[in-house]
Amino acid sequence: MSLISELWSGVLIEPGRREQYTRLVGEIDESIGSFLSFSLENPTGKPAGKGPLNGLPVAVKDNIAVEGRPLTCGSHILENLKAPYTATAVRRLEDAGAVVVGKTNMDEFGMGSSNEHSALGTTVNPWNKDRVPGGSSGGSAAAVAAGLVPLALGSDTGGSVRQPANFCGVYGLKPTYGSISRFGLTAYASSLEVIGALTRDIDLLETAFGVMAARDEKDQSSISADMISEDATHVVMLEVDDEILDAPVADAYKRTEGALKEAGYSVGKVSLPSLEMVVPAYYTIATAEASANLARYNGIRYGHSPDFSENPTELMRMARHEGFGDEVKLRILLGTYVLRSGFQDQYYVKAQKIRTLIRNELAGVFASCDLLLMPVFPTQAFLMGDAGMDDYKQRVADVFTCLANLTGLPALSVPTGIDGGLPTGVQFMAPAFGEKRLFKAARDLTDSFPLQTAPGALDIRSLS
Amino acid sequence: MSAHEKYDVFIGLEIHIHLKTVSKMFCSCRAHYGDEPNTNVCPVCLGYPGTLPLLNERAMELGYHVARSLGCRIADRTSFVRKNYFYPDMPKNYQISQFEEPVGVEGLMEADLGDGGVRNIRIHDVHLEEDAGKMIHAGDVTLLDFNRAGYPLLEIVTEPDLRTGEETEAFLRDFQRLVRYLGVSDGNMDEGSMKCDANISINHPGKGLGTKVELKNMNSPRFVRLALNHEVIRHAEIIDAGGSLIQETRLWNENRDITESMRRKEEADDYRYFPEPDLPPFIPDDAFLARVEASMVELPLDKKRRLQAEYGLSPEQAEFIHDDVATLHLFEQTVRTGSSARNVAAWLSSDIRKLLNRENLSLADSPLSAARFSALLKLIEEGRISGKIAKKVLENIFSENSDPESIVEKEGWSQISNPVELALIVDKVIGANPEVAAAVRDGDMKQRGWLMGQVMRASDGKAAPELSGKILDEKLSTIV
Repeated sequence: MSLISELWSGVLIEPGRREQYTRLVGEIDESIGSFLSFSLENPTGKPAGKGPLNGLPVAVKDNIAVEGRPLTCGSHILENLKAPYTATAVRRLEDAGAVVVGKTNMDEFGMGSSNEHSALGTTVNPWNKDRVPGGSSGGSAAAVAAGLVPLALGSDTGGSVRQPANFCGVYGLKPTYGSISRFGLTAYASSLEVIGALTRDIDLLETAFGVMAARDEKDQSSISADMISEDATHVVMLEVDDEILDAPVADAYKRTEGALKEAGYSVGKVSLPSLEMVVPAYYTIATAEASANLARYNGIRYGHSPDFSENPTELMRMARHEGFGDEVKLRILLGTYVLRSGFQDQYYVKAQKIRTLIRNELAGVFASCDLLLMPVFPTQAFLMGDAGMDDYKQRVADVFTCLANLTGLPALSVPTGIDGGLPTGVQFMAPAFGEKRLFKAARDLTDSFPLQTAPGALDIRSLS
Repeated sequence: MSAHEKYDVFIGLEIHIHLKTVSKMFCSCRAHYGDEPNTNVCPVCLGYPGTLPLLNERAMELGYHVARSLGCRIADRTSFVRKNYFYPDMPKNYQISQFEEPVGVEGLMEADLGDGGVRNIRIHDVHLEEDAGKMIHAGDVTLLDFNRAGYPLLEIVTEPDLRTGEETEAFLRDFQRLVRYLGVSDGNMDEGSMKCDANISINHPGKGLGTKVELKNMNSPRFVRLALNHEVIRHAEIIDAGGSLIQETRLWNENRDITESMRRKEEADDYRYFPEPDLPPFIPDDAFLARVEASMVELPLDKKRRLQAEYGLSPEQAEFIHDDVATLHLFEQTVRTGSSARNVAAWLSSDIRKLLNRENLSLADSPLSAARFSALLKLIEEGRISGKIAKKVLENIFSENSDPESIVEKEGWSQISNPVELALIVDKVIGANPEVAAAVRDGDMKQRGWLMGQVMRASDGKAAPELSGKILDEKLSTIV
């Protein structure tokens, strides 16, 4: 059992600490807004399992189904939906003893990098409440950074676990596509996304990943594969133009090179010629899939529907018009556009070709190294609202994260410290099923980059 | 000059059949007709967020079975796509279907098209997909039943090789028979387990395909015939008048016996097909293909030919026996027990058919089993009952649901074949009709038949016919 598990293991059992915990979460989260719903009562009444995660509270992004709990996806259209079943990944955590305590805020259906596209609430960055927590798993990242839970689940379609983890100074894992079942993860872009995890403890992350990763007969895209060994000695660093990165990010990136060498790694350089095509290809595929995945929300079987409509067609139109936010509508329209017959070759098919190209390019990279080091995002957590980053720039900035989604490869964002009061970090990418290498690299950096605690965070040791 | 003489007509079909599987195409819900609305549903087939499709391999196997039986090139890799369009009864608002990698392509179906003769109709492809729910308009509300949502559907697309409504109707009946032979579907158009859309175009001879019109909403093979023939005339009139056809979809209005425009090409949905990311391509392994091979059966037309060649049935008998799977199975089982094929066929096509019609029963639901049928025939062959009594026994099998032997015993219907007993009956008949007997002796053989009838009547039909005749003849020649 990891240290953090030990600290948390009694909190939910002892009535005094349980009550104190609930109260403190309420107090702290009032100004952070990481949870959309929080309750220690299991709505199904099913007893918790026993295993390596005994008594460990877990927060779950609100696009992952937990039976009896809300499944809003941060959207008005699902504001009143309760999940009728539990996602396989969550079930596996529960079977290992973990206890779901709440559902976290997110950009609507995972579409955004700041949590500002949530229709149901505002989440701020625990390090600086004028800044965004990142997105789309911003609620999960903020909850972990604020110490409200030791572990949270997120989902990563184009960086949605790693970028908020990076903004909030915690670890964020995007596992290999197919390693963790997607059954129960509300689909945004099915071929790109995976359930990931956020935590401040690398041992706990490894344990949780080990619990969740397994072939699931309910997800035919899930794979049972042997993990490759953790042996990693040679890292290559992606060459990035200095002007792309903000100074603190560039500085953290350089310092990581030094820290790796200190830890005994050899560090080389690599450039990826097709990197500039990554974002257009990513958005083409993601929006195409989204246009189909979000078609099911029509107000008929569940979810928001208008008070009155003349006929079923009008009902669907009004439910979607009223229920979806602008970013979601924009991406559905884009996806519909790129899939039109006669235009597929120009967009969707071309994007798939780029995807193959990039996959091959990365296979070439990993033929001569164990790990690839990259920035996570060009900036630190940006300001909320108009003073922050415009939507277009946010999408372009997905370049370093969506690479792992297009290729299906695992990637981990690792905190490297605090600069100007805000976290910095880097990410490692490994060959498929190379998660152990990611954990090892992160562990090897802890001496150089000890984890920092956000101001005002809940200290579980303070509960008595 | 009729439209058909003046123009080439091209008719192609898109036939959908519900596959007979226990569960739905992508979840474990029951695939069953007639249950309470919205009882066979789950988060997967209702399209709840986060759910994923799980391929029903049995449906895949039935799909391969049909493709293989239609002589298709079967796929060594088949994959699914999403076909996107909004419809209130479609839970995901896309249908999981197949497009570029269907189960089978380039097949041929041999069909007896009536006056069109036996022809090979080319099959373009065979592919799997899922059905939608059902929308019921009731007054000013619309109700939805999702029991049918996710039913496994197999779509069979033909090339435009048919020429008339009559041929098409005959083809559909052949096709229904085929799927029933294979046991993959009920093939009932009125129950909705089989649906058929048609496309039709006509053109001046030798000019190839004309402007295509799609026809929908034809709920029986007969309506398919009527709709197509209506369209042939409509197209011909337009071309005769120097006009040109519009590419469109039309609906058959069975109350008015006409087709009506539903939507034009430019209003048609753009289905925005793209690969289904939730289902990996299906690659059949050797065991799967072996199961498909093992399920292959003799096809209807081959069966019909063999019924004539091997069993000596008349074309009419063979047509009747092969038409219905239950009849065919009863025929084959009964013949296997040693009964004469022609006798079996004769009984099936006359007395048994009449009884079934009268009782409004299907063979499958009737009390007549192969064992009872062959026992009945055996009673006749062994001379224990006459053909006339046999008909009464058959009636009683239906009314009492019991075995022929026990009926005969209970009713005391065993044939009288004791010569002494028969001679007494014959004597009585001759004694009661001296003038007729005299006429027979004078050579009026017609009157002999009448006397035989009296013998049968006097014995309640139980007198063994051959032996009674012999005794009658002896008596008439000896008594002067």
